[in-house]
Amino acid sequence: MGEVRHKSNKPLQVNPFKLSQPMGATLAFLGIDKCMPLMHGGQGCTSFTKVFYTRHFCEPIAIQTSAITDAIAVLDGGDYSIVESVKNICKKVTPSLIGLHTTGLPETKGDDIRGVAGKVDYPLVWVNTPDYEGGLESGWALTCQALIEQLVKPTDDIDPQKLVILPHVSLQPIEVEKIKQTCEAFGFNTFALPDLSTSLDGHLGEKQAALSSGGIAVEEIQQLGDAALVLTIGDSMQKCATALQKKNPTLRHQHFPHLSGLEASDSLLALLMRETGIELPQTNIVRWRKRLQDAMLDSHFSLGQTRCLVVGEPDQLAGICQSLYEAGGRVSVAISTVDSPQLEKIRAAKVLVGDLEDAEALADDYDLIIGNFHCEALAHRLHKGLVLRGIPNWEQVGNPLKNDILYEGGAYFLFECANAANAMRHAG
Amino acid sequence: MSAKPKIRELLDESSCEHNKTKKVACNAPTPGATTGGCAFEGAQISLFPYADAAHLVHGPMTCLGSSWETRATKTSWPGRDLTQVGFTTDINLNDVVFSGEQKLTDAIDYIMEKYSPEAVFVYSTCVTALIGDDIDQVCKLAAEKHGVPMVPVHAPGFVGSKNLGSRLGGEAALRNLIGTKEPEKTTPFDINLIGEYNVTGDMWQYSHLLDELGIRILSTLSGDGRVADIRTAHRAKLNVIVCAKSLISLTRKMQEQYGIPSISLSFYGKRDTSNGLMAIAEAFGDADLIERTEKLIAREEAKLEEKLAPYKKVFAGKKAVLNTGGNKSWSITSALQDLGIEVVATAVKKATEADRAKAREYLGENGVLMMNPGVEQAKLIDERGAHLLLAGGRSLYTAIKKGIAFADVNQEKKKSYGGYAGLLNLAEDLKNALENPVFKLVSRRAPWEK
Repeated sequence: MGEVRHKSNKPLQVNPFKLSQPMGATLAFLGIDKCMPLMHGGQGCTSFTKVFYTRHFCEPIAIQTSAITDAIAVLDGGDYSIVESVKNICKKVTPSLIGLHTTGLPETKGDDIRGVAGKVDYPLVWVNTPDYEGGLESGWALTCQALIEQLVKPTDDIDPQKLVILPHVSLQPIEVEKIKQTCEAFGFNTFALPDLSTSLDGHLGEKQAALSSGGIAVEEIQQLGDAALVLTIGDSMQKCATALQKKNPTLRHQHFPHLSGLEASDSLLALLMRETGIELPQTNIVRWRKRLQDAMLDSHFSLGQTRCLVVGEPDQLAGICQSLYEAGGRVSVAISTVDSPQLEKIRAAKVLVGDLEDAEALADDYDLIIGNFHCEALAHRLHKGLVLRGIPNWEQVGNPLKNDILYEGGAYFLFECANAANAMRHAG
Repeated sequence: MSAKPKIRELLDESSCEHNKTKKVACNAPTPGATTGGCAFEGAQISLFPYADAAHLVHGPMTCLGSSWETRATKTSWPGRDLTQVGFTTDINLNDVVFSGEQKLTDAIDYIMEKYSPEAVFVYSTCVTALIGDDIDQVCKLAAEKHGVPMVPVHAPGFVGSKNLGSRLGGEAALRNLIGTKEPEKTTPFDINLIGEYNVTGDMWQYSHLLDELGIRILSTLSGDGRVADIRTAHRAKLNVIVCAKSLISLTRKMQEQYGIPSISLSFYGKRDTSNGLMAIAEAFGDADLIERTEKLIAREEAKLEEKLAPYKKVFAGKKAVLNTGGNKSWSITSALQDLGIEVVATAVKKATEADRAKAREYLGENGVLMMNPGVEQAKLIDERGAHLLLAGGRSLYTAIKKGIAFADVNQEKKKSYGGYAGLLNLAEDLKNALENPVFKLVSRRAPWEK
């Protein structure tokens, strides 16, 4: 691990790739079946968020706004706009849940959304997510925590076959599905919270839904308390496990900082074997491990001579950098959206909280960029290789199906990076 | 004059036709039932295309983080394209409690030192407006210090819709830039293009034709625009509003203050482009210019028709249903008709009275103006035997169910459909849509479905 800078010393962000906390909350609510995320703020926050995710996932995005105006901003403590919003939403659709999350505006004027939530006679989960604090990752995690605290029923029972996964925000829908399948291969009845793998995985539904179509059901969330085991993926999710354990103190927790690369995948498989007593996983899992081993060897030559810049959310950086490291990729710079204890563990020569202007200033340190859509202009201007990862990616289609984790995804990821680095070198 | 624009005055726009019936509020959103962007987005749309200026968003992360690099407004500015560089103060809790003014001042200094822009536009947002950061004062001091225009833009999201925000953007230009500099020279045919943002290079599809006619674009708000040019806009002889109702208040005020008349037109499709060029020539009332314009139009139309001929064969007998809003309800209709496609219905739910009248004019008596397109479009596709649905992404399912071709009219454009040449791009895309088997194949039943 290298040098870590936890705080930017600039008075502004230039070419930011950081995303806001309420946008993380929206995404989490979209992993709940038939949910209507309700963003409490000016109409623009919601409109921007809707367009943003629609373009990233190539899917219609369900979301509504409390549409605070200047008069309401001064006079109302949130009661009017939230109560009215719920009423108006329910005139058109019947959500299983309303996901109320705040933005900076109502937080600045001090709305008591907890109090308002008590007055709403409809299933609703509320969470404070001002956009002047945290970022995408914390917004998602806070929402997951709120869902657990406000929905899960306390219990002492344990269903030994039941397992809960709490994935961090940067795991793509297919990646969540792969983790679920791996656990299911060991006989576990597996639930993910939130679960984008069945909502924003990019599937052609029967008809156009006005609510989130797919995801974990509200009834399923209510019953998560009797799981034998909860797995958190990503340091941002640890608090959510604590919240779940408060519902059932006998529920056991295992944490994984990420599931990228051979070592981390092995540790998940080792845990599942230990828990179940199964000594040999299914054939395809065993086969994929061999393929990953081979992929590491096949890609090591290209990656071993490649210096990488990786930009993203803290938990995402931890995984990507470990994957590259295992095949010899040298991450010279990792730039994080926000601060996190995870930064100390990232395998990179230099880790900093910053923006893409910082990346540009360090241009001599890397050849290949791994990051979101905003990195494209940078790669183009500096003639660097590019692997697009993270949100948003408006340049490519198929984002929800990009799998970089466990044995299988790890193999594909290394090939893609090695090939991109080679292409960059050929282009000169 | 107070530094801040009067919102009520902007809403009560006398030149705005649809406001005769709805006196006060185009901007009262319904909680829980509102779509569309906020005032900040509108201001961003109208001013960000100035690529020689830095656009500094004073607010928390949602405002810029979710919105920069979303619009492909092209520029020929030889320096770095600052439209595509995101600047935000990304305020934190500390700023909310203790004010963000110092941070804003430091941010401007930082930008001036590193990027030396021709101007800095400073956008207030909901949170910084609510905590009362005085961006006027910060801009005033910064302008004195750095010697370039610092433009405060008062369009926090909570004041209203995108449309209002565009007006506020125009207002900011009027108060701070227009009339602050004299042009090096003037010509008898100087115009300002207002509301043309040069998205995907739309403006460049016709600007060379204006050039050829000797009509000079003195300035634009704000496609391929320059701060130095908009400062001289008060010397133009004519304001040309391109498809932008929101900026009518700006042009009215420019008429009052500087005596500049204005016309409103569109450069979408063959007929509208020709009509637009003609309208400019006629507004100048110069016989020679009118004659040269007529000749140019004849030449361009002939050239276009020749290139369109193979497409027209493909489109012969094809019928389309159009589900969009605002002026697109008739402007796309016009372009489709130019391609030889019959438009059997168009949605006018989100259109003004004037737009509806225009749509009726283009569609003729037999065309259907849909007031409830979500319900009507499927039925009309069957009844009229339409081959093509042009709509937003949500209507894709309707097209698939009916097994007809679909084109997303709301998708961010990657290439220009503007002017004469743009019509060829549209023709190519629609031909590809009609020939694509995907809309029929994708709805095939699975072997396990009965």
